[in-house]
Amino acid sequence: MHVSDANGDPLRLRGDAYAQTPPPSGMLVLQGDDRTERGPRSRWSLDAEALAWLGTGADHTGDVLTLVVRARDVEGRGEARAGRFLIATGAIRPLHIDGANAIGRTPWGTSLEAFGGVPVVPRFGERDYDWAVGGRLAQRVTDRATLGFAYLQRRERGRLSDEEVGGDLAVFPIRNVDIATRAAYDLASLGLTDALASVGFRTTDWRVELFGTRRSPSRLLPATSLFSVLGDIPSTRAGTTVRWLAAPRLDLLATAATQIIDDRVGGDGTLRATLRTNEEGTASVGLELRRQAVPGAQWSGIRAIGTAPVAARLAVAAEVELARADDPARRGDVWPWALLAFTWRATRSWDVAAAAEGAATATARAELTTLLRASYAWDAPR
Amino acid sequence: MTRALVRLLVLVGCLALAACAGLLGIKPKTAGMQPFEHRAHLLNGVSCLECHGGIAAAGDVGPLHIPEPSTCTKCHQKPHDTHDCNGCHGATHTRQRAELAREHLRFEHRGHVLAANGECVRCHVAAGEARPESLLPPMAACLGCHHHEKQFVVRDCEGCHVDLPAERIRPESHVVHEGDFIREHGVRAASARDLCSTCHSERFCSSCHGVTTPGLPARLAFDKPALGGLHRAGFKSRHKEEARGQPGLCTTCHSEDSCRACHARENVGATGMPGRSPHPRTWLTAGRGGGDHGQQARIDPGSCASCHGGAGEQLCVGCHKVGGVGGNIHGAGFSSIKSKTRDVPCRQCHVPTP
Repeated sequence: MHVSDANGDPLRLRGDAYAQTPPPSGMLVLQGDDRTERGPRSRWSLDAEALAWLGTGADHTGDVLTLVVRARDVEGRGEARAGRFLIATGAIRPLHIDGANAIGRTPWGTSLEAFGGVPVVPRFGERDYDWAVGGRLAQRVTDRATLGFAYLQRRERGRLSDEEVGGDLAVFPIRNVDIATRAAYDLASLGLTDALASVGFRTTDWRVELFGTRRSPSRLLPATSLFSVLGDIPSTRAGTTVRWLAAPRLDLLATAATQIIDDRVGGDGTLRATLRTNEEGTASVGLELRRQAVPGAQWSGIRAIGTAPVAARLAVAAEVELARADDPARRGDVWPWALLAFTWRATRSWDVAAAAEGAATATARAELTTLLRASYAWDAPR
Repeated sequence: MTRALVRLLVLVGCLALAACAGLLGIKPKTAGMQPFEHRAHLLNGVSCLECHGGIAAAGDVGPLHIPEPSTCTKCHQKPHDTHDCNGCHGATHTRQRAELAREHLRFEHRGHVLAANGECVRCHVAAGEARPESLLPPMAACLGCHHHEKQFVVRDCEGCHVDLPAERIRPESHVVHEGDFIREHGVRAASARDLCSTCHSERFCSSCHGVTTPGLPARLAFDKPALGGLHRAGFKSRHKEEARGQPGLCTTCHSEDSCRACHARENVGATGMPGRSPHPRTWLTAGRGGGDHGQQARIDPGSCASCHGGAGEQLCVGCHKVGGVGGNIHGAGFSSIKSKTRDVPCRQCHVPTP
């Protein structure tokens, strides 16, 4: 491909090697992206992005996460993608596909998106007659609202596994208030698949969010599964999250929610405090308390974290968690977990991290894992 | 007694607050973290261009034009010590932010200084404050002259921002990633995927939602404990409780056979102990109702499918096929557009086996 009068942004490539014992014993992640704009009179820009990884062991031989080329009209009238990428548009749940996607936008705020491809199967697997198609039509209403309708049909081995329509709405009615909702309706076994809503109110130091979720677990399964035809007992969750900047360096967060499953009522809550202990924000300590009390799933947990630079290029991080289920079912009374990590930023390009992780799990009285990550980033000069 | 206790608690509280004032960011900053005394210089009539020489002609690349000690000593002819002035006067992070801005923004002082008649404070409004956190102009200062309405509509940020994903700035005005944003991001992104993509690259979403992800970001970035994530810390021990607590949540990302694949890889049963059934004794009983399994399967069918999916469905079909001892598998109000005799899974029960 020849691109004339290129005004190129930095070419970035990054390689990450990750090792863990016990297995998987190693992984090498290679990722990179590049962007090229054509000359000043050209309307199109082109960018490409890839992330592939290699591993060891039968289940970690390697795969491609992303391999996508995107052409974009610099004035935003349209864009097209091709390759392996994630579709997440409107009320459609994220879908990883090998395929193509195109969006067109009009000056009066209408946008039309269409996509099609083959759902990704891990480790370069393939299935005959698997495909997914769909799209979204959206309309912007002044600068205050956007309304969209989406459609998805997915087939596995030629059989209908998902067919959904969905709607999404984002509204900014007044300053500091934002509302977002989305809902998907299952056309295969008629009924609401899931619906989510979030209303946020924000001041400088506070943010209060009210949220609600309703899910139909049977409709979230592929329609080819026997477990998708059992009937519908949806779960509904509603609650609030409050964030308070209590002091210039102290963040407090609280979440409380009520959940209704069938005729049973439960709830969960989280309290979290984060204190940045230096001006640059590179050092911090945090404490989190959690409690979940839904029938059949009751547990409590406490988690503490700390990070601090110990030298100009060396930082240490520690994380400790203790969790306790009300009914541990012979899995131990308390489930401890701890991690101690060191990061050494040797140069601007090199980054090396090592950690030791210890835990007591259902399968091991004590389990020690060592982790190592080495990253190198290539930045071409501007 | 009570009043004395209250006084004591108030006193202890005040002392604790005073002791922690520095830690909380309330206490005045120490040397090296002090912002430069721009305000004092301005009040004394020192023009910005007197110290930041050459900035009026500065382009998009080149030095930052931070004054050298020799510039200071032109006026401060008797320095109070021999150290580099910049070592104490001026916060390190302020200079770092300026360096990052040079790297990530397309901006030329040349032209702007002329347009502002040399009145730098028109953009660098914080220079007039006693203790500014940052001297970088807020984006609102740019938008005071450059409205960019069209660019906002089409998300064309590249005229100023070299590369937003690499810049890793957090938006202050239009999208706020705070609170429990991991839970919230799905509904927020539904109507604004193009807005998300102005900062986040394709692989950012795929790194969690992709079916070929090599490891979740929370796992690969093990040295950043402040990084959020549903699967953080001891999730392996508590994943059963977390999954039961929100039926259907796992299925929004994971396929129904991912539990089976992981348990097979780890060589553990559903209880974590080989040979032990994960189901209670009341799970499957003889007689009307057949025990708890039907109700539980309707509440969290993904959990059943994680072990009994695929060929394992025959376990259910054996009893629940039409005319079988298990009776009708469908709950109240069930409706489907599928053909009983042609489509899967209906035909498994509705088509008589020869």
